[in-house]
Amino acid sequence: MSSTASQRALDYLEQLPGTTFTKLYQQPSTALAIFRRMLPHLAKTLVMAMLYMPTPFSVADLDLWMKPGNDSLQARDRALSVLQRLRILFDGQDAAGRAAYRLSDSFAKSLRLALTGSGNHRSFGVPCSTPDKTPVTVEYLDAFARKQWDAILYYVVGSASVGLGGSVEISPGTQQLLQKGEFVKLHGRSAAITQTGFTFLLQEINAQIWTLLIVYLEVSSSLQMDPVDVLSFLFTLGSLELGISYSTSNLTPTQRHMLEDLADFGLVYRRSAESTRYYPTRLATTLTSDAPALPNNSLTAATTNPSDPGSNEKGYIIVETNYRLYAYTNSPLPISILSLFAQLHTRYPNLITAKITKSSIQAAISSGITADQIITYLTTHAHPVLRRQQPILPPTVVDQIRLWQIEGERMTAWQGFMIRDVGSQEDYDKAVAYAEALGVLRKEFRSRGSFFVSRMDQMSTYFKGQVAKKKAAQAQAVAQGQNSKGNTPLGTPSKA
Amino acid sequence: MPRAMPGVLVQCDPSIKAIIVKINAEHNHDIIVEEIDEEHVLVKTSKHELLKNLLKDALKDTVKEAAESSESE
Repeated sequence: MSSTASQRALDYLEQLPGTTFTKLYQQPSTALAIFRRMLPHLAKTLVMAMLYMPTPFSVADLDLWMKPGNDSLQARDRALSVLQRLRILFDGQDAAGRAAYRLSDSFAKSLRLALTGSGNHRSFGVPCSTPDKTPVTVEYLDAFARKQWDAILYYVVGSASVGLGGSVEISPGTQQLLQKGEFVKLHGRSAAITQTGFTFLLQEINAQIWTLLIVYLEVSSSLQMDPVDVLSFLFTLGSLELGISYSTSNLTPTQRHMLEDLADFGLVYRRSAESTRYYPTRLATTLTSDAPALPNNSLTAATTNPSDPGSNEKGYIIVETNYRLYAYTNSPLPISILSLFAQLHTRYPNLITAKITKSSIQAAISSGITADQIITYLTTHAHPVLRRQQPILPPTVVDQIRLWQIEGERMTAWQGFMIRDVGSQEDYDKAVAYAEALGVLRKEFRSRGSFFVSRMDQMSTYFKGQVAKKKAAQAQAVAQGQNSKGNTPLGTPSKA
Repeated sequence: MPRAMPGVLVQCDPSIKAIIVKINAEHNHDIIVEEIDEEHVLVKTSKHELLKNLLKDALKDTVKEAAESSESE
Protein backbone atom coordinates (compact mmCIF):
# COMPACT_ATOMS: atom_id res chain seq x y z
CA MET A 1 0.00 0.00 0.00
CA SER A 2 2.87 2.40 0.56
CA SER A 3 4.95 1.33 -2.37
CA THR A 4 4.86 4.85 -3.75
CA ALA A 5 6.14 6.20 -0.46
CA SER A 6 9.12 3.91 -0.21
CA GLN A 7 9.79 4.37 -3.93
CA ARG A 8 10.14 8.09 -3.39
CA ALA A 9 12.48 7.59 -0.48
CA LEU A 10 14.45 5.05 -2.50
CA ASP A 11 14.81 7.43 -5.43
CA TYR A 12 16.11 10.10 -3.10
CA LEU A 13 18.56 7.79 -1.33
CA GLU A 14 19.90 6.44 -4.60
CA GLN A 15 21.32 9.74 -5.74
CA LEU A 16 23.30 10.30 -2.53
CA PRO A 17 27.08 9.88 -2.74
CA GLY A 18 28.65 6.69 -1.39
CA THR A 19 30.32 8.41 1.55
CA THR A 20 26.92 9.57 2.81
CA PHE A 21 25.76 5.97 2.84
CA THR A 22 28.77 4.87 4.87
CA LYS A 23 27.99 7.54 7.45
CA LEU A 24 24.28 6.77 7.40
CA TYR A 25 24.79 3.08 7.95
CA GLN A 26 26.75 3.74 11.12
CA GLN A 27 23.38 4.20 12.84
CA PRO A 28 21.76 0.85 13.64
CA SER A 29 18.31 2.45 13.45
CA THR A 30 18.99 3.55 9.87
CA ALA A 31 20.25 0.15 8.81
CA LEU A 32 17.21 -1.51 10.35
CA ALA A 33 14.76 0.96 8.80
CA ILE A 34 16.26 0.53 5.35
CA PHE A 35 16.26 -3.23 5.76
CA ARG A 36 12.66 -3.25 6.97
CA ARG A 37 11.16 -0.79 4.56
CA MET A 38 13.13 -0.48 1.34
CA LEU A 39 14.14 -4.02 0.48
CA PRO A 40 12.11 -6.61 -1.43
CA HIS A 41 11.71 -9.90 0.41
CA LEU A 42 14.32 -11.73 -1.63
CA ALA A 43 16.84 -9.00 -0.90
CA LYS A 44 16.05 -9.36 2.81
CA THR A 45 16.69 -13.09 2.58
CA LEU A 46 20.05 -12.48 0.92
CA VAL A 47 21.09 -9.91 3.49
CA MET A 48 20.09 -12.19 6.34
CA ALA A 49 22.00 -15.08 4.81
CA MET A 50 25.13 -13.03 4.33
CA LEU A 51 24.95 -11.11 7.60
CA TYR A 52 27.15 -13.48 9.61
CA MET A 53 29.12 -14.82 6.67
CA PRO A 54 32.84 -14.23 7.27
CA THR A 55 33.87 -14.30 3.60
CA PRO A 56 32.37 -12.85 0.43
CA PHE A 57 29.58 -14.90 -1.09
CA SER A 58 30.48 -16.16 -4.55
CA VAL A 59 28.16 -15.43 -7.44
CA ALA A 60 28.16 -19.08 -8.47
CA ASP A 61 26.97 -20.16 -5.00
CA LEU A 62 24.20 -17.60 -5.09
CA ASP A 63 23.01 -18.92 -8.42
CA LEU A 64 22.80 -22.39 -6.89
CA TRP A 65 20.28 -21.04 -4.38
CA MET A 66 17.99 -19.73 -7.08
CA LYS A 67 15.34 -21.84 -8.68
CA PRO A 68 16.00 -22.08 -12.39
CA GLY A 69 13.49 -20.23 -14.51
CA ASN A 70 12.96 -16.77 -15.81
CA ASP A 71 10.82 -15.47 -12.94
CA SER A 72 13.25 -16.27 -10.19
CA LEU A 73 16.17 -14.93 -12.20
CA GLN A 74 14.32 -11.67 -12.68
CA ALA A 75 13.53 -11.51 -8.98
CA ARG A 76 17.21 -12.15 -8.22
CA ASP A 77 18.41 -9.40 -10.54
CA ARG A 78 15.90 -6.96 -9.12
CA ALA A 79 16.89 -7.75 -5.55
CA LEU A 80 20.59 -7.42 -6.35
CA SER A 81 19.96 -4.18 -8.20
CA VAL A 82 18.19 -2.60 -5.22
CA LEU A 83 20.92 -3.79 -2.85
CA GLN A 84 23.62 -2.35 -5.07
CA ARG A 85 21.81 0.94 -5.55
CA LEU A 86 21.53 1.34 -1.80
CA ARG A 87 25.25 0.51 -1.46
CA ILE A 88 24.48 -2.47 0.74
CA LEU A 89 25.99 -5.04 -1.58
CA PHE A 90 29.32 -4.72 -3.38
CA ASP A 91 31.06 -6.77 -6.00
CA GLY A 92 34.15 -8.46 -4.67
CA GLN A 93 36.20 -11.62 -4.99
CA ASP A 94 36.22 -14.67 -2.81
CA ALA A 95 39.35 -16.49 -1.69
CA ALA A 96 39.55 -18.43 -4.95
CA GLY A 97 39.40 -15.20 -6.93
CA ARG A 98 35.93 -15.85 -8.30
CA ALA A 99 33.38 -13.05 -8.60
CA ALA A 100 31.51 -12.69 -5.32
CA TYR A 101 29.27 -10.36 -3.36
CA ARG A 102 30.06 -8.81 -0.02
CA LEU A 103 27.92 -6.73 2.31
CA SER A 104 28.86 -3.17 3.17
CA ASP A 105 30.85 -3.43 6.39
CA SER A 106 29.13 -0.58 8.18
CA PHE A 107 25.68 -1.76 7.14
CA ALA A 108 26.31 -5.32 8.28
CA LYS A 109 27.75 -4.18 11.60
CA SER A 110 24.84 -1.83 12.31
CA LEU A 111 22.21 -4.34 11.32
CA ARG A 112 23.78 -6.95 13.58
CA LEU A 113 23.73 -4.42 16.44
CA ALA A 114 20.12 -3.56 15.71
CA LEU A 115 18.95 -7.15 15.52
CA THR A 116 20.74 -8.38 18.60
CA GLY A 117 20.09 -5.20 20.56
CA SER A 118 23.70 -4.86 21.64
CA GLY A 119 26.00 -1.87 21.74
CA ASN A 120 25.64 1.53 23.31
CA HIS A 121 24.71 3.51 20.25
CA ARG A 122 21.47 5.15 21.50
CA SER A 123 20.32 5.43 17.93
CA PHE A 124 16.81 4.24 18.76
CA GLY A 125 16.15 7.34 20.82
CA VAL A 126 16.59 7.86 24.54
CA PRO A 127 13.36 7.77 26.53
CA CYS A 128 13.03 10.40 29.25
CA SER A 129 14.03 8.93 32.57
CA THR A 130 11.69 11.15 34.58
CA PRO A 131 7.95 10.83 33.98
CA ASP A 132 6.17 13.86 32.54
CA LYS A 133 4.25 15.85 35.15
CA THR A 134 1.25 16.07 32.83
CA PRO A 135 1.45 13.01 30.60
CA VAL A 136 0.26 13.33 27.02
CA THR A 137 -2.26 10.75 25.82
CA VAL A 138 -2.14 8.95 22.50
CA GLU A 139 -5.50 10.48 21.57
CA TYR A 140 -4.12 13.94 22.13
CA LEU A 141 -1.10 13.16 19.97
CA ASP A 142 -3.33 11.83 17.19
CA ALA A 143 -5.48 14.93 17.31
CA PHE A 144 -2.44 17.15 17.27
CA ALA A 145 -0.89 15.32 14.34
CA ARG A 146 -4.11 15.45 12.38
CA LYS A 147 -4.61 19.14 13.05
CA GLN A 148 -1.10 20.00 11.87
CA TRP A 149 -1.18 17.77 8.82
CA ASP A 150 -4.63 18.92 7.76
CA ALA A 151 -3.46 22.50 7.98
CA ILE A 152 -0.80 21.67 5.42
CA LEU A 153 -3.34 19.98 3.14
CA TYR A 154 -5.71 22.93 3.55
CA TYR A 155 -2.97 25.24 2.50
CA VAL A 156 -2.23 23.24 -0.63
CA VAL A 157 -5.88 22.75 -1.53
CA GLY A 158 -7.03 26.12 -0.30
CA SER A 159 -4.74 27.66 -2.81
CA ALA A 160 -6.89 26.03 -5.52
CA SER A 161 -10.07 27.76 -4.43
CA VAL A 162 -9.44 30.63 -2.08
CA GLY A 163 -12.30 31.19 0.32
CA LEU A 164 -13.10 27.57 1.04
CA GLY A 165 -9.99 26.56 2.96
CA GLY A 166 -7.47 28.54 4.90
CA SER A 167 -9.15 28.49 8.31
CA VAL A 168 -5.99 27.10 9.93
CA GLU A 169 -2.65 28.86 9.64
CA ILE A 170 0.61 27.09 8.99
CA SER A 171 4.00 28.56 9.71
CA PRO A 172 5.84 30.63 7.07
CA GLY A 173 8.64 28.06 7.05
CA THR A 174 6.29 25.29 6.01
CA GLN A 175 4.66 27.57 3.44
CA GLN A 176 8.06 28.24 1.94
CA LEU A 177 8.80 24.54 1.91
CA LEU A 178 5.59 23.83 0.00
CA GLN A 179 6.55 26.48 -2.52
CA LYS A 180 10.07 25.08 -2.85
CA GLY A 181 8.62 21.65 -3.48
CA GLU A 182 6.41 23.25 -6.15
CA PHE A 183 3.20 22.02 -4.53
CA VAL A 184 1.95 25.56 -4.82
CA LYS A 185 3.11 28.49 -6.87
CA LEU A 186 2.82 32.10 -5.85
CA HIS A 187 1.05 34.46 -8.21
CA GLY A 188 1.43 37.81 -6.59
CA ARG A 189 0.10 37.23 -3.10
CA SER A 190 -2.17 34.26 -3.63
CA ALA A 191 -0.83 30.74 -4.01
CA ALA A 192 -2.04 28.41 -6.76
CA ILE A 193 -1.89 24.65 -6.67
CA THR A 194 0.44 22.95 -9.16
CA GLN A 195 0.66 19.58 -10.82
CA THR A 196 2.89 18.23 -8.06
CA GLY A 197 0.44 19.58 -5.50
CA PHE A 198 -2.43 17.65 -7.10
CA THR A 199 -0.52 14.42 -7.06
CA PHE A 200 0.52 15.12 -3.48
CA LEU A 201 -3.10 15.56 -2.35
CA LEU A 202 -4.34 12.31 -3.77
CA GLN A 203 -1.56 10.20 -2.30
CA GLU A 204 -2.12 8.20 0.84
CA ILE A 205 -0.89 9.94 3.92
CA ASN A 206 2.32 8.01 4.44
CA ALA A 207 3.40 8.82 0.89
CA GLN A 208 2.47 12.45 1.49
CA ILE A 209 4.73 12.63 4.52
CA TRP A 210 7.65 11.10 2.64
CA THR A 211 7.08 13.43 -0.30
CA LEU A 212 7.20 16.42 1.99
CA LEU A 213 10.17 15.11 3.96
CA ILE A 214 12.16 14.55 0.79
CA VAL A 215 11.58 18.16 -0.20
CA TYR A 216 12.66 19.03 3.33
CA LEU A 217 15.85 17.00 2.88
CA GLU A 218 16.63 18.71 -0.39
CA VAL A 219 16.08 22.15 1.11
CA SER A 220 17.95 21.35 4.31
CA SER A 221 21.13 20.37 2.51
CA SER A 222 21.20 23.81 0.91
CA LEU A 223 20.85 25.32 4.40
CA GLN A 224 24.11 23.72 5.54
CA MET A 225 22.27 21.02 7.46
CA ASP A 226 24.04 17.69 7.21
CA PRO A 227 21.78 15.31 5.26
CA VAL A 228 23.22 12.40 7.27
CA ASP A 229 22.02 14.00 10.50
CA VAL A 230 18.62 14.75 9.04
CA LEU A 231 18.11 11.32 7.50
CA SER A 232 19.29 9.32 10.46
CA PHE A 233 16.98 11.31 12.73
CA LEU A 234 14.03 10.56 10.43
CA PHE A 235 14.86 6.87 10.51
CA THR A 236 15.23 7.04 14.28
CA LEU A 237 11.78 8.61 14.54
CA GLY A 238 10.41 5.65 12.64
CA SER A 239 11.59 3.30 15.36
CA LEU A 240 10.26 5.25 18.34
CA GLU A 241 7.23 4.24 20.34
CA LEU A 242 3.98 6.17 20.35
CA GLY A 243 2.95 7.78 23.63
CA ILE A 244 6.43 7.79 25.19
CA SER A 245 8.45 10.94 25.65
CA TYR A 246 12.03 11.00 24.44
CA SER A 247 14.87 13.16 25.60
CA THR A 248 16.51 15.76 23.36
CA SER A 249 19.81 15.37 25.22
CA ASN A 250 21.52 13.07 22.70
CA LEU A 251 20.46 15.02 19.61
CA THR A 252 22.88 17.01 17.50
CA PRO A 253 22.23 20.77 17.04
CA THR A 254 20.91 20.05 13.55
CA GLN A 255 18.46 17.53 14.89
CA ARG A 256 17.29 19.90 17.61
CA HIS A 257 16.63 22.47 14.95
CA MET A 258 14.70 19.83 12.98
CA LEU A 259 12.42 19.19 15.95
CA GLU A 260 10.86 22.62 15.47
CA ASP A 261 10.11 21.96 11.82
CA LEU A 262 8.84 18.46 12.49
CA ALA A 263 6.53 19.78 15.19
CA ASP A 264 5.13 22.08 12.53
CA PHE A 265 4.38 19.10 10.29
CA GLY A 266 2.79 17.30 13.23
CA LEU A 267 5.43 14.56 13.32
CA VAL A 268 6.54 15.31 16.86
CA TYR A 269 4.84 17.09 19.72
CA ARG A 270 6.63 19.41 22.14
CA ARG A 271 4.95 21.40 24.83
CA SER A 272 7.22 24.37 24.21
CA ALA A 273 10.26 25.11 22.09
CA GLU A 274 12.53 24.86 25.17
CA SER A 275 11.16 21.55 26.38
CA THR A 276 13.78 18.84 26.80
CA ARG A 277 11.36 16.08 25.88
CA TYR A 278 9.52 15.32 22.68
CA TYR A 279 6.71 12.93 21.81
CA PRO A 280 6.68 11.28 18.39
CA THR A 281 3.18 11.22 16.90
CA ARG A 282 1.68 8.44 14.84
CA LEU A 283 2.81 10.26 11.68
CA ALA A 284 6.42 9.77 12.78
CA THR A 285 6.25 6.28 14.24
CA THR A 286 4.71 4.88 11.07
CA LEU A 287 7.36 6.44 8.81
CA THR A 288 9.15 3.16 8.26
CA SER A 289 6.29 0.74 8.76
CA ASP A 290 3.29 -0.27 6.71
CA ALA A 291 0.66 0.65 9.28
CA PRO A 292 -1.76 3.43 8.31
CA ALA A 293 -0.47 6.77 9.52
CA LEU A 294 -3.69 8.12 10.97
CA PRO A 295 -6.68 5.98 11.89
CA ASN A 296 -10.21 7.21 11.18
CA ASN A 297 -8.96 9.77 8.82
CA SER A 298 -12.02 11.04 7.04
CA LEU A 299 -10.70 14.51 6.43
CA THR A 300 -7.54 13.92 4.51
CA ALA A 301 -7.20 12.46 1.08
CA ALA A 302 -5.54 9.35 2.42
CA THR A 303 -6.53 6.28 0.48
CA THR A 304 -6.88 3.10 2.43
CA ASN A 305 -6.04 -0.40 1.38
CA PRO A 306 -8.07 -0.98 -1.80
CA SER A 307 -8.92 -4.54 -0.78
CA ASP A 308 -11.03 -3.38 2.16
CA PRO A 309 -12.07 0.13 1.25
CA GLY A 310 -13.54 2.22 3.98
CA SER A 311 -12.99 -0.21 6.83
CA ASN A 312 -11.79 2.63 9.00
CA GLU A 313 -13.10 5.49 6.99
CA LYS A 314 -16.57 6.79 6.28
CA GLY A 315 -17.30 7.35 2.62
CA TYR A 316 -19.35 10.32 1.61
CA ILE A 317 -19.49 10.41 -2.17
CA ILE A 318 -22.32 9.09 -4.35
CA VAL A 319 -21.81 8.99 -8.10
CA GLU A 320 -24.78 8.35 -10.38
CA THR A 321 -24.73 6.95 -13.88
CA ASN A 322 -25.71 10.37 -15.23
CA TYR A 323 -22.38 11.81 -13.98
CA ARG A 324 -24.02 13.60 -11.09
CA LEU A 325 -22.15 13.51 -7.85
CA TYR A 326 -23.46 14.01 -4.32
CA ALA A 327 -21.07 14.45 -1.44
CA TYR A 328 -22.30 14.33 2.13
CA THR A 329 -19.85 16.66 3.74
CA ASN A 330 -19.62 20.14 5.11
CA SER A 331 -15.89 20.23 5.53
CA PRO A 332 -13.97 22.54 3.20
CA LEU A 333 -11.12 20.16 2.45
CA PRO A 334 -13.08 17.42 0.61
CA ILE A 335 -15.11 20.10 -1.12
CA SER A 336 -11.98 21.77 -2.40
CA ILE A 337 -10.61 18.45 -3.57
CA LEU A 338 -13.86 17.66 -5.41
CA SER A 339 -13.79 21.07 -7.02
CA LEU A 340 -10.48 20.09 -8.60
CA PHE A 341 -12.17 17.63 -10.95
CA ALA A 342 -15.94 18.13 -10.74
CA GLN A 343 -18.16 21.06 -11.45
CA LEU A 344 -19.76 22.10 -8.16
CA HIS A 345 -23.41 22.89 -8.35
CA THR A 346 -25.21 23.59 -5.09
CA ARG A 347 -24.10 23.56 -1.50
CA TYR A 348 -26.52 22.51 1.22
CA PRO A 349 -25.71 22.41 4.94
CA ASN A 350 -24.58 18.79 4.85
CA LEU A 351 -24.45 18.04 1.15
CA ILE A 352 -23.00 19.37 -2.05
CA THR A 353 -24.09 18.43 -5.53
CA ALA A 354 -21.73 18.44 -8.43
CA LYS A 355 -21.39 17.07 -11.90
CA ILE A 356 -18.47 15.34 -13.57
CA THR A 357 -18.10 16.94 -16.98
CA LYS A 358 -15.67 16.61 -19.80
CA SER A 359 -14.31 20.09 -19.22
CA SER A 360 -13.90 19.57 -15.47
CA ILE A 361 -12.06 16.28 -15.97
CA GLN A 362 -9.87 17.65 -18.71
CA ALA A 363 -9.05 20.71 -16.64
CA ALA A 364 -7.88 18.38 -13.89
CA ILE A 365 -5.91 16.26 -16.34
CA SER A 366 -4.21 19.27 -17.85
CA SER A 367 -3.00 20.24 -14.39
CA GLY A 368 -1.46 16.83 -13.85
CA ILE A 369 -4.09 14.75 -12.08
CA THR A 370 -4.63 11.38 -13.81
CA ALA A 371 -7.90 9.63 -14.52
CA ASP A 372 -6.80 6.75 -12.34
CA GLN A 373 -6.18 9.06 -9.41
CA ILE A 374 -9.67 10.53 -9.74
CA ILE A 375 -11.24 7.09 -9.95
CA THR A 376 -9.25 5.83 -6.97
CA TYR A 377 -10.29 8.86 -4.98
CA LEU A 378 -13.96 8.39 -5.82
CA THR A 379 -13.78 4.67 -5.04
CA THR A 380 -12.08 5.00 -1.68
CA HIS A 381 -14.44 7.73 -0.58
CA ALA A 382 -17.60 6.15 -1.95
CA HIS A 383 -20.68 6.27 0.26
CA PRO A 384 -21.71 2.99 1.98
CA VAL A 385 -24.78 2.88 -0.27
CA LEU A 386 -22.54 2.68 -3.34
CA ARG A 387 -20.30 0.18 -1.62
CA ARG A 388 -23.08 -2.37 -1.44
CA GLN A 389 -22.97 -2.81 -5.19
CA GLN A 390 -20.23 -4.29 -7.32
CA PRO A 391 -18.52 -2.47 -9.01
CA ILE A 392 -18.69 0.45 -6.63
CA LEU A 393 -18.67 3.22 -9.24
CA PRO A 394 -20.96 3.14 -12.29
CA PRO A 395 -18.85 1.59 -15.08
CA THR A 396 -20.05 4.15 -17.61
CA VAL A 397 -18.64 6.98 -15.56
CA VAL A 398 -15.34 5.20 -14.95
CA ASP A 399 -14.93 4.39 -18.64
CA GLN A 400 -15.85 7.88 -19.70
CA ILE A 401 -13.32 9.46 -17.33
CA ARG A 402 -10.65 7.21 -18.83
CA LEU A 403 -11.77 8.05 -22.37
CA TRP A 404 -11.63 11.76 -21.65
CA GLN A 405 -8.07 11.31 -20.55
CA ILE A 406 -7.03 9.29 -23.61
CA GLU A 407 -8.57 11.89 -25.86
CA GLY A 408 -6.01 14.40 -24.71
CA GLU A 409 -3.11 11.99 -25.09
CA ARG A 410 -2.16 11.59 -28.70
CA MET A 411 1.27 10.31 -27.87
CA THR A 412 2.93 8.48 -25.04
CA ALA A 413 6.48 9.42 -24.22
CA TRP A 414 9.25 7.87 -22.14
CA GLN A 415 12.52 9.50 -21.28
CA GLY A 416 15.56 7.28 -21.49
CA PHE A 417 18.21 5.85 -23.75
CA MET A 418 18.17 4.08 -27.07
CA ILE A 419 20.76 1.31 -27.20
CA ARG A 420 22.03 -0.10 -30.50
CA ASP A 421 24.99 -1.88 -32.05
CA VAL A 422 24.93 -4.47 -29.31
CA GLY A 423 26.72 -7.04 -31.45
CA SER A 424 25.59 -10.51 -32.42
CA GLN A 425 21.99 -11.65 -32.13
CA GLU A 426 22.93 -13.67 -29.06
CA ASP A 427 24.49 -10.65 -27.36
CA TYR A 428 21.40 -8.65 -28.21
CA ASP A 429 19.03 -11.22 -26.73
CA LYS A 430 21.09 -11.40 -23.55
CA ALA A 431 21.22 -7.62 -23.18
CA VAL A 432 17.47 -7.30 -23.70
CA ALA A 433 16.80 -10.07 -21.18
CA TYR A 434 19.07 -8.34 -18.68
CA ALA A 435 17.32 -5.00 -19.18
CA GLU A 436 13.97 -6.67 -18.71
CA ALA A 437 15.12 -8.37 -15.52
CA LEU A 438 16.23 -5.01 -14.16
CA GLY A 439 12.84 -3.60 -15.02
CA VAL A 440 14.29 -0.81 -17.16
CA LEU A 441 13.29 -2.13 -20.59
CA ARG A 442 10.62 0.04 -22.20
CA LYS A 443 10.44 -1.20 -25.76
CA GLU A 444 12.50 -3.35 -28.04
CA PHE A 445 12.82 -3.04 -31.79
CA ARG A 446 14.12 -6.46 -32.70
CA SER A 447 14.16 -5.88 -36.45
CA ARG A 448 16.40 -2.85 -36.00
CA GLY A 449 18.62 -4.43 -33.37
CA SER A 450 17.97 -1.67 -30.87
CA PHE A 451 16.03 -1.28 -27.64
CA PHE A 452 14.97 1.51 -25.31
CA VAL A 453 15.69 1.61 -21.57
CA SER A 454 14.64 4.06 -18.90
CA ARG A 455 17.97 4.17 -17.11
CA MET A 456 21.48 3.62 -18.27
CA ASP A 457 23.88 3.31 -15.33
CA GLN A 458 23.47 -0.39 -14.69
CA MET A 459 23.24 -1.20 -18.38
CA SER A 460 26.61 0.41 -19.04
CA THR A 461 28.14 -1.56 -16.17
CA TYR A 462 26.66 -4.65 -17.77
CA PHE A 463 28.11 -3.84 -21.19
CA LYS A 464 31.51 -3.10 -19.70
CA GLY A 465 31.36 -6.44 -17.92
CA GLN A 466 30.47 -8.16 -21.18
CA VAL A 467 33.39 -6.54 -23.01
CA ALA A 468 35.77 -7.51 -20.21
CA LYS A 469 34.45 -11.08 -20.25
CA LYS A 470 34.97 -11.31 -23.98
CA LYS A 471 38.52 -10.02 -23.70
CA ALA A 472 39.26 -12.52 -20.95
CA ALA A 473 37.79 -15.31 -23.05
CA GLN A 474 39.92 -14.27 -26.01
CA ALA A 475 43.05 -14.10 -23.91
CA GLN A 476 42.29 -17.52 -22.52
CA ALA A 477 41.73 -18.91 -25.99
CA VAL A 478 45.07 -17.51 -27.14
CA ALA A 479 46.82 -18.86 -24.06
CA GLN A 480 45.26 -22.26 -24.55
CA GLY A 481 46.26 -22.15 -28.18
CA GLN A 482 49.91 -21.56 -27.27
CA ASN A 483 49.72 -24.23 -24.63
CA SER A 484 48.41 -26.82 -26.96
CA LYS A 485 50.95 -25.82 -29.60
CA GLY A 486 53.69 -26.69 -27.12
CA ASN A 487 52.03 -30.02 -26.52
CA THR A 488 51.44 -30.94 -30.13
CA PRO A 489 53.52 -34.11 -30.05
CA LEU A 490 51.14 -35.57 -27.45
CA GLY A 491 47.87 -33.60 -27.69
CA THR A 492 45.51 -33.04 -30.55
CA PRO A 493 46.39 -30.32 -33.06
CA SER A 494 45.03 -27.00 -31.87
CA LYS A 495 42.51 -25.00 -33.80
CA ALA A 496 43.62 -21.67 -32.37
CA MET B 1 30.71 -1.70 -28.79
CA PRO B 2 27.10 -0.85 -28.00
CA ARG B 3 26.04 2.75 -28.29
CA ALA B 4 23.42 4.51 -26.18
CA MET B 5 21.59 7.65 -27.22
CA PRO B 6 19.60 9.74 -24.75
CA GLY B 7 16.20 10.92 -25.89
CA VAL B 8 12.47 10.62 -25.50
CA LEU B 9 10.74 7.65 -27.08
CA VAL B 10 7.37 8.68 -28.42
CA GLN B 11 4.66 6.17 -29.22
CA CYS B 12 1.65 7.31 -31.24
CA ASP B 13 -0.75 6.40 -34.04
CA PRO B 14 0.63 6.45 -37.61
CA SER B 15 -1.56 9.47 -38.35
CA ILE B 16 -0.11 11.40 -35.44
CA LYS B 17 3.36 10.32 -36.48
CA ALA B 18 2.80 11.85 -39.89
CA ILE B 19 1.99 15.16 -38.21
CA ILE B 20 5.10 14.89 -36.03
CA VAL B 21 7.23 14.29 -39.12
CA LYS B 22 5.67 17.33 -40.76
CA ILE B 23 6.35 19.48 -37.67
CA ASN B 24 9.91 18.20 -37.73
CA ALA B 25 10.35 19.26 -41.34
CA GLU B 26 9.01 22.72 -40.52
CA HIS B 27 11.58 23.11 -37.76
CA ASN B 28 14.85 22.41 -39.57
CA HIS B 29 14.65 18.70 -38.75
CA ASP B 30 15.77 19.63 -35.28
CA ILE B 31 13.26 17.57 -33.28
CA ILE B 32 13.41 13.96 -34.36
CA VAL B 33 16.57 11.95 -33.71
CA GLU B 34 15.37 8.78 -35.38
CA GLU B 35 12.22 7.52 -37.02
CA ILE B 36 11.97 3.97 -35.74
CA ASP B 37 8.81 2.55 -37.28
CA GLU B 38 5.22 3.50 -38.07
CA GLU B 39 4.36 4.12 -34.43
CA HIS B 40 7.62 5.12 -32.76
CA VAL B 41 10.01 8.04 -33.03
CA LEU B 42 12.96 9.06 -30.92
CA VAL B 43 12.89 12.75 -30.05
CA LYS B 44 15.51 15.07 -28.55
CA THR B 45 14.84 15.45 -24.83
CA SER B 46 15.12 19.24 -25.03
CA LYS B 47 12.57 19.45 -27.84
CA HIS B 48 9.92 17.18 -26.33
CA GLU B 49 7.91 19.97 -24.66
CA LEU B 50 8.05 22.05 -27.84
CA LEU B 51 6.79 19.12 -29.86
CA LYS B 52 3.93 18.50 -27.43
CA ASN B 53 2.77 22.10 -27.74
CA LEU B 54 3.13 22.18 -31.52
CA LEU B 55 1.21 18.93 -31.81
CA LYS B 56 -1.57 20.30 -29.64
CA ASP B 57 -1.81 23.38 -31.87
CA ALA B 58 -1.80 21.28 -35.01
CA LEU B 59 -4.58 19.06 -33.69
CA LYS B 60 -6.67 22.01 -32.59
CA ASP B 61 -6.84 23.12 -36.21
CA THR B 62 -7.72 19.73 -37.63
CA VAL B 63 -9.93 18.05 -35.02
CA LYS B 64 -13.22 19.70 -34.17
CA GLU B 65 -14.36 19.06 -30.60
CA ALA B 66 -18.02 18.20 -30.18
CA ALA B 67 -19.96 20.94 -28.42
CA GLU B 68 -20.38 20.43 -24.66
CA SER B 69 -23.78 19.15 -23.71
CA SER B 70 -25.85 21.51 -21.65
CA GLU B 71 -25.15 21.51 -17.92
CA SER B 72 -28.58 22.79 -16.88
CA GLU B 73 -30.89 20.63 -14.85
